[in-house]
Amino acid sequence: MAEPTQTREPPSSLAEPLLHLGCQSCGARLMLEPALRTTRCPYCAAPAVVERPPVPGVPEPVFALGFALTHTTAKAHVARWLRTRSRFTRSGIRSASPGEVKGVYVPAYLYSVLAQARYRASIGENYQETETYTTTENGKTVTRTRTVTRTEWRPLEGELSGYVADVLVTASKGLENAELEALEPFDLRALARYTPALISGWMAEEPSLTLEECRALARREAVDRVGVKLTRFMPGDSYRELQHQARLEWEALDVCLLPVWVLAVKYAEDAPPLRVLVNGQTGAVHGKAPISPWKVLAAVVFVLALLAVGWLLTSGGGR
Amino acid sequence: MSALAVKVEPCQRCDSALEVEDLRCPVCGLTAPPPPRAAVERARARVVRCDSCGAAVEYSVEAKAPRCDYCGSVTHVETTADPVEQAQAWLPFTVDPEAARGALMGFLGRGGFFRPSGLAQEASLESLRPVWWPAWMFDAGVDVSWTADSNAGARRSEWAPHAGRTRFDFEDISVPASRGLKVKECEALAPHYQRGSARDTQVGPEGAHVERFESTRSGARKSVLDAVERLSLERLKQGVIPGRIFRNIHVAVALSSLRTRRLALPVYVMAYRYRDKPYRVLVHGQDAGVVLGDAPISAWRVAAAVLAVLVVLAGLLYAAGMH
Repeated sequence: MAEPTQTREPPSSLAEPLLHLGCQSCGARLMLEPALRTTRCPYCAAPAVVERPPVPGVPEPVFALGFALTHTTAKAHVARWLRTRSRFTRSGIRSASPGEVKGVYVPAYLYSVLAQARYRASIGENYQETETYTTTENGKTVTRTRTVTRTEWRPLEGELSGYVADVLVTASKGLENAELEALEPFDLRALARYTPALISGWMAEEPSLTLEECRALARREAVDRVGVKLTRFMPGDSYRELQHQARLEWEALDVCLLPVWVLAVKYAEDAPPLRVLVNGQTGAVHGKAPISPWKVLAAVVFVLALLAVGWLLTSGGGR
Repeated sequence: MSALAVKVEPCQRCDSALEVEDLRCPVCGLTAPPPPRAAVERARARVVRCDSCGAAVEYSVEAKAPRCDYCGSVTHVETTADPVEQAQAWLPFTVDPEAARGALMGFLGRGGFFRPSGLAQEASLESLRPVWWPAWMFDAGVDVSWTADSNAGARRSEWAPHAGRTRFDFEDISVPASRGLKVKECEALAPHYQRGSARDTQVGPEGAHVERFESTRSGARKSVLDAVERLSLERLKQGVIPGRIFRNIHVAVALSSLRTRRLALPVYVMAYRYRDKPYRVLVHGQDAGVVLGDAPISAWRVAAAVLAVLVVLAGLLYAAGMH
């Protein structure tokens, strides 16, 4: 579970066999993993981009976002990220030095759709009312008036239609969608049409999740975005019971290769290395630094002890 | 303007016009159809070669493009271009400089009560510059979803919520791109142009200045989309949302068939001097009746008017006191 590109089963268990191809530079035999799109000849170091006959259900990449962050900058971002972790992370993490950093083009689907949503909500409209009340002042009962704000709830139904573009979902088993979301946003203005030259010399994965899984993920994200848009779309002073149903039309889904720096941080001999991801375009860092249960326990015990001492002292002073 | 020669099919989803370099539709995000690629028959490990020296090319972060390490040449990659574009069509000047000067004199002579009396005679024309100012002109169909509070149907609260969906068609809406003219001036000039008169060549007085578009293609698209939202909001207020007063108007637009043209629109920019103070006046390049600008105000005449009002008031008060 160390790195996205190395979580594969041994090649023998894969349906597709290892590809044996000749190096165009020196003629040596290259052995290729089916999950990878690029390789480098072990003899002459020539970078190669694998071209395969089209496989049904595995679309070719249409777009790619090039790396904009150098190897050293990515490493520096991770080092700073490690230093700024919480004190409760396992010992060694905050002082660990990032190990080998690998740049990987991770496949993702870029999804856009025309969403037609029907919604229903209860809209709260405020109004002011003057009410009289009795109170006791200087021992006498008096009647006073005051202004109170009340809310009138009115039902509202309607439609919202709009394009939802720029939805990115992972197409790789090595990168979970939640991880991709943590690395987002990518600047899609820099989108380039895929060409083998863009990934030459870098590691690039083939999509490993099926189109159907990815489409379901993308649909969910699009419907969620419509929901978020609706919360800002409601009139009135407040709203409640907002429900919506979105009909998605004109779906479009294209493979886009995203630049991600991946590295494994070894912080203890006995623990598996910590996986850290860096957005290859913006430098956003994502990783889950494990919390040390001992440190948390120690802190809790310390606070309890402090409270106990404080209580003893005060009750001792009161005697 | 060679790019115009290449015809690009509009977006299949929203029917908006695309530029040659667009990878995706700027309105709805649909991928533009890619150029046909030769099908791969047999798997192979292709080494991408440098066009100039034949060495293997790798993507370079520093160059943000594939670069050859040996000869340093950078391979071009297709990305969404964002150029600063120039006008596609020019509207001709139909008002000649002589007529423009006449229009200015008419404007100064018309004056009104507060203008100094000798203005038309004493003002000296300093400069008269024919200028083509840049504007985007767009047509679009818009599917507008909206919600708002209005007084219609209100019960205990002054406001009642409303929602709806409607379709607007915008035709020949101009969005000024000029830096030299004020937005107000552009808005006043724009309705008086004859749309049909656009030409491929510049027809106008000698030495007419062409003000260049300053913003890039993406900036232009943003201005146009902002204009669509603003206009939709205004149209919603004119009879679509029930009621008289509104608040919390939310608009979501789904554009279709957006067509944008870049136009150069003719105007005369004039400067005249009156008693050592410069003033600026615009005369429409296609309709001499449209003149915008400042003119001096006679301090004496204003003082006289104020005095007259005061005298009348005092007289009235006096009369009331006598009663």
